[in-house]
Amino acid sequence: MRTKMREIGVLFTLMGWGLVMPQAVPAWTPTRPVEAVVHTGPGGGSDIFARAIADLLQKEGLVPQRLQVVNKSGGGPTVAMAYLAEKKGQDHTIAFFTGVWVTNPLTRKEAKVTVKDLTPIARLVLEPAMIAVKADSPYKTVKDFIEDAKKRPGQLRQSGGSVTGRDNLTRLVIEKATGAKWTFISFASGRERIANLLGGNVEMMVIEPQEAREHVRAGNLRVIASLTDTRLPSFPDVPTTKEQGINAPLVPQARGVVAPPGISKDIVEYWEGVFDRFAKGASDE
Amino acid sequence: MEALSDLLLGLSVALTPANLFWCFVGVFLGTIVGVLPGLGSPATIAMLLPLTFRLDPTTAMIMLSGIYYGSKYGGSTTSILLNVPGESASVVTCLDGYQMARQGRAGPALGIAAISSFIAGTVGVLGLMLIAPPVARFAVRFGPPEYFGLMCLGLAMVVFLAGKSMIKGLIATLFGIWLASVGTDIFTAESRFTFGMMELLDGIDFIVVSIGVFAVAEVLVNLESQAGAELFKVPKGLRNLLPSLQDLKDSRFAFVNGSVVGFFIGVLPGAGSTIASFLSYGVEKAFSRHPEKFGTGAVEGVAAPEAANNSETGGALVPLLTLGIPGSATTAMLLAALILWGFRPGPLLIQENPALFWGLVASMYVGNIMLLILNLPLVPLFAQILRLPYFVLAPAILGISIVGVYSVSQSLFDVWMLGVFGLLGFLMRKLDFPAAPLVLGLVLGDRLEQSLRQALMMSQGHLSILVMRPMSAGLLLLTVVILLMPVAGKIRSWRLKAAEEGI
Repeated sequence: MRTKMREIGVLFTLMGWGLVMPQAVPAWTPTRPVEAVVHTGPGGGSDIFARAIADLLQKEGLVPQRLQVVNKSGGGPTVAMAYLAEKKGQDHTIAFFTGVWVTNPLTRKEAKVTVKDLTPIARLVLEPAMIAVKADSPYKTVKDFIEDAKKRPGQLRQSGGSVTGRDNLTRLVIEKATGAKWTFISFASGRERIANLLGGNVEMMVIEPQEAREHVRAGNLRVIASLTDTRLPSFPDVPTTKEQGINAPLVPQARGVVAPPGISKDIVEYWEGVFDRFAKGASDE
Repeated sequence: MEALSDLLLGLSVALTPANLFWCFVGVFLGTIVGVLPGLGSPATIAMLLPLTFRLDPTTAMIMLSGIYYGSKYGGSTTSILLNVPGESASVVTCLDGYQMARQGRAGPALGIAAISSFIAGTVGVLGLMLIAPPVARFAVRFGPPEYFGLMCLGLAMVVFLAGKSMIKGLIATLFGIWLASVGTDIFTAESRFTFGMMELLDGIDFIVVSIGVFAVAEVLVNLESQAGAELFKVPKGLRNLLPSLQDLKDSRFAFVNGSVVGFFIGVLPGAGSTIASFLSYGVEKAFSRHPEKFGTGAVEGVAAPEAANNSETGGALVPLLTLGIPGSATTAMLLAALILWGFRPGPLLIQENPALFWGLVASMYVGNIMLLILNLPLVPLFAQILRLPYFVLAPAILGISIVGVYSVSQSLFDVWMLGVFGLLGFLMRKLDFPAAPLVLGLVLGDRLEQSLRQALMMSQGHLSILVMRPMSAGLLLLTVVILLMPVAGKIRSWRLKAAEEGI
């Protein structure tokens, strides 16, 4: 009885879809709740991102079934990626990736699965970053910081997270481009990274624009460079690192969707369509 | 004066019927989550987050934080009744709470846990309103060297947890610290002691170890003794179901100590309620007139950690209020959730949305009262569980332990680990090794290592950074004093003996 109800439900949804988008009925649609794997625990960055997207997809009626967020944390993305590999060829599973899905498997022997083994679906966002110092810091530009770091190598300090994360990669590429050297100190949580900057225990950190904006408004922090190709619309007065003469590659935080290896083309096309419409809807708002 | 007008604004928000209703839903769910071992408040809040999108943001915040502090009330229940820590901050409550239950005083233990939670929860909120700005400056000055000092002080608590043999206590602590080092080293992204096992990359979960060495080991010991006949004295009459006036009197200092320690530890973004509960237990025992009673069912041994656990909630909101930095993982999540409603979480959030924040604070007063009213009548009910014969209780305890551990990360591997640590706990009991120092080492080990290495990175390897900063120097000095206390006691008793013999 229940399966019949579900079939009717799917039929109705399909009819609804047909009305909205007369172009084509997709060759594959989910017929039961879809697993959305994330590599962080409940409340982590990827988890909140995935839950928000799942909610929006459902609200906009883009997916006829519920997206059930499944937390597979462990060793950065290692456990989540291994889980996806185990689901080889199976439908009704997708995952939300970030940049560490690329870098992390390169550095650890436990990781048997790399991003290349998975099926790419969509890259949803590239989160830009900025360089921030305390509001009363002597550094007005990123050049000031670099000059001082060159004068006393290793003595200036940056707070950040994992050494395979974006913050440290940004430091390494800038160090390589400028010849300056400073110390990167890992802290387990984001709140400690910023608390130690405010407390004067470190001199600099790499920060998301959204978080920086509020601390700049409150007079806690000053941003001295934007790690982007062009200036950020929300920070028109903050020059990019390139403008300040630093020719280092940019390391934005990528977020997007992958699927298990070996799934059919129909499923890939289905999800590509969903996230394409999702992205268009999001940019319209 | 400003605090008063803020509170009035808050009450006008918190006392609307809808907010009262959702506040109750939150604390009720929180109590249930707290009673169930394993499943913690961050997980519950994350799961319920999408359901709250349809609510007004203030209402949703009130409900979600109700889960947060409500779970802290419930956490002590299984610790006291079954020796199964409901959440990591309730591990210390097992030490005396379970002993009280065995003596037929489960009711008073549960009652005192609820009452001290209420007092400390309210003190924490008062502290948040009255002294937040100066305390927040203290929190920011607390860098890696200071955390190192605090962790050393915490480890010195082994003096109060070791039991009969200090050597065995120290061995257990060191083993705990070693367990904490299993997993990924955050400074190098290198894995340590994982033996190629993916499941160990995030280290060994604290709740798995503590449920293993406390609950599973306890069941094994009881099964072996086979007697089973009079494991729990069944309380007789109504009088024994709630704490007596004497219990409340004995816990006076514990309420104050736990509230203060919990609040200040809560303010620090890098420490949490688990550390707060251990510290307040140590402080309580250090100042007690009868320290020998601790671990055998002292009512203060329940009141202090439960108070610390609950005033931490108010403390964790201090850096959020003043600096825009969350003080704990759960507050960080609540803050992140606000983005989804279109707020801009940060230092100006509260200034720009006073009704949201003060409504939340006022709802915490209201919620604490609801929790007391909700929990006290449940006490006699829960205490009846111990009437069950042990052949029913034992499998129930094991079942609850397994479900609890599995619910943390849905991993069967953790269930196996539970078995391993249950056996370890059993062996430790046989060989007279205390379990509490092991758990203490595991709680503090991670943070001890991280803060030391962070401090040395700050100073380019100079150890002097640990003693050149006044706060860390003070904490280290205090540690030395505490470590010398048993030695001083030995010398005194030896001199007394000598004097007696001299006469």
